[in-house]
Amino acid sequence: MAPPIPLLSATSVTKAYAGVPALSGASLVVAPGEIHALMGENGAGKSTLIKILAGVVAPDTADIAIDGTPVSIESTKAAYRLGLRFIHQEFNVVPTLSVAENIFMGRRYPRRAGIFVDWAELNRQAQRALDRLGIDHIDPRQNLGTLGLGDQMLVRISAALLDDAKLYVMDEPTAALTADESQRLFRVLREIRASGSSVLYVSHRLDEVMMLCDKATVLRDGRSIDSGALTNITHDDLVALMIGRKVEEAYPKAVVAPREATVFSATNLVSPGLKPTSFSLREGEVLGIAGLSGSGQSELIRAIFGDARMTAGTMSLGNAPYAPFSPATAWQSGVAYVPRERRAEGLIMRRPIYENITLAHLKRQSSAGTWLTPNREKRFTADLGANMRLKAVGPGQDVIELSGGNQQKVVFAKAVAGDPRLLLLEEPTRGVDVGAKFDIYSIIRERTAKGSGVILVSSDLPELIGLCDRIAIMRDGAITTIVDAAGLREDDLVNLCYGRTTGMVA
Amino acid sequence: MVFIRRYGTLIGFVAILVFFSVMLPGTFPTARNWLNITQQTSMLMVVAAGMTVVMVMGDFDLSVGSAASLAGIVAALMMVAGQPIWAAVSVSLLVGLLGGAFNGAMVSLVGILPFIATLATMTMFSGLAFVVSGGKTISGRAIPEDFGNFARAGIPLGEWGGVAISLPNLSIIAIVVILAVWVLLEQTTFGRRLYAIGGNMEAAHLSGIAVKRLRLIAFSLTGLAAAAGGLMYASRVASANPVQGSGLMLNAIAAVFLGTTMSRHGEPRILATVVGVIVLGVLDNGLTQMSVDSYIRQVLVGALILVAVGAGSIGQKRR
Repeated sequence: MAPPIPLLSATSVTKAYAGVPALSGASLVVAPGEIHALMGENGAGKSTLIKILAGVVAPDTADIAIDGTPVSIESTKAAYRLGLRFIHQEFNVVPTLSVAENIFMGRRYPRRAGIFVDWAELNRQAQRALDRLGIDHIDPRQNLGTLGLGDQMLVRISAALLDDAKLYVMDEPTAALTADESQRLFRVLREIRASGSSVLYVSHRLDEVMMLCDKATVLRDGRSIDSGALTNITHDDLVALMIGRKVEEAYPKAVVAPREATVFSATNLVSPGLKPTSFSLREGEVLGIAGLSGSGQSELIRAIFGDARMTAGTMSLGNAPYAPFSPATAWQSGVAYVPRERRAEGLIMRRPIYENITLAHLKRQSSAGTWLTPNREKRFTADLGANMRLKAVGPGQDVIELSGGNQQKVVFAKAVAGDPRLLLLEEPTRGVDVGAKFDIYSIIRERTAKGSGVILVSSDLPELIGLCDRIAIMRDGAITTIVDAAGLREDDLVNLCYGRTTGMVA
Repeated sequence: MVFIRRYGTLIGFVAILVFFSVMLPGTFPTARNWLNITQQTSMLMVVAAGMTVVMVMGDFDLSVGSAASLAGIVAALMMVAGQPIWAAVSVSLLVGLLGGAFNGAMVSLVGILPFIATLATMTMFSGLAFVVSGGKTISGRAIPEDFGNFARAGIPLGEWGGVAISLPNLSIIAIVVILAVWVLLEQTTFGRRLYAIGGNMEAAHLSGIAVKRLRLIAFSLTGLAAAAGGLMYASRVASANPVQGSGLMLNAIAAVFLGTTMSRHGEPRILATVVGVIVLGVLDNGLTQMSVDSYIRQVLVGALILVAVGAGSIGQKRR
């Protein structure tokens, strides 16, 4: 039997930006009715390849065929006509419009008498699109801005599923989703596969890829390193293919156990969106925060960081009472923060690396707190960067030119530059590739070895289990339970997040 | 493309200089004319320097022209009332500082968009200037001679082509203000923080920068510079009227925007603003000497800004 005609075949794809090759003869072949993973570290060329398929970037050379017919994708419209749909990491949504309006963006609204928008029909059709994902908690009429990030992503996905297409390209679709939301998405992706359409799936979460995808293509340095079925390959083999060397461990081992002394404690802490919460953290301890999205994780972190007003309760740092009234006082007290959204909250993209890192420490990184000393800042940054394996031309390079993993290292460098006693981390490895992930975990370990306490909010459950000493579960704006991470399994953690009993004793 | 974006304005500037030097060989490329240009542009230079401070944060201030007028009126009225010049100047500068602080409070503490807030205060300052002056020009013997003489005097630089030339006092003030703003924006942690706010306000806030306080201070400084510009204007014409500063606002914003076409990421830089002011000043000076109608001059200056800033935007999108 002859091999079936591939749904998408892109071969000899090359593209260089200003002489620097991003793709050097990459190829990607997707068969009909399969979920195909596109893998590789940041900078391997995944985004460029996707942008070429989307008609956003013109390749230098490429042989692209759809259902065996050679095509050239000159614009996003052409990609759409060819039956390709794209769901990107970055949301392109309008928060002030309703869910239904966002779903129908760029499409013709249903009309009454050919003139007036038929709102009832619009909302009905949007509801059907949501139903397909099994979403029953989102009203098509509510403003998109009232939804959490995960729900917004679900809306984007249901919009892409509105009409049937040949190939759905999804770039890190689960980055903002909870485990349950991800499961719903996977169910829909499997339905798509069953209907004969295909999915090109990009994710840094290997467990997800192993579980969901049929085949994978691995890119490294702009070339296709390997492509094949995911049945006879291990997690570690896949990582080794991506980074070109073997890794021993996904998570660096803790060198020292947490100490006895308490570094931070909260007693009946209350703030907007946070019900009375108490816990304490020892020196050198990593406390994970797990829970469904919007359970109060961000509110807790913001209260500790002084960005939300504490309305009741007490906090202490070291042995002293701690009541920050702004992020500035938090930094001064030795509390550092790695925010959830590095571009929007963590970095000044069009400024040099060193300015970003010293921004929170200008008092010490200047002469008399007033006069700038750029050369000293650059030396400081170069030392810090070398320690974290930050890949950059130099400390004066603009952050916008760095890869996602290296940008995140800059955010971390800013956080640890002041030798903090307490490190608050929200989704510290979102959109970060495997190699940089390990480096970031090493930074966290280095801090705990020095006695810093770490509070880690993450929706990446293996990460929580791999890094934390204890994990606090949040539900409805409060910590419901705190369990030891050692020996914890992922499904135990999922059950805890949903408040189901597991028979596990913490 | 990048080259054009970065240096297009400078190349255009040189072309303008060559054009006027060829058309007006006897009067344009002379030391006397250039010193004259520095004096003509000194008020705009000071106001634009102040405008740069807020525009670094991505804000801007529409009220500088009215604030300049008000400052001139306040000083003139005090001198008419027999107060010494130093007291009149101090109070007038204080009025500018407080007006700026009011802008800052509206923008940073209340949270009104700078466009709206300063549009409102522009009207308020202008109205106040009319109210306190009774709508009249304050001039003549009521203004002390020393006040008017200050603008006419300068430091002698010797002779050039048989004519005595000197560096006007107003130009000296402009140079001092430029240096002060340069030090503030480029050499201090204050300036670094302002650029951080302009780059990403949320990230700056989460990095422990007191965004509200800094915005308040920055708007105060802009108000102070506007008042200084108004005083310089009043000294130059030895009189004050409630509308004499009104042309400064648009030109100051235009100068900063012209300057942004020369910086790496299109952010305002004080030395680039200086070039922007000089471009506007040279155009004004040369076109006046060529007897080009002042309305046509306005059309040309507006077109130039569109071309310069437009070329910059196109270059950035192609990046």
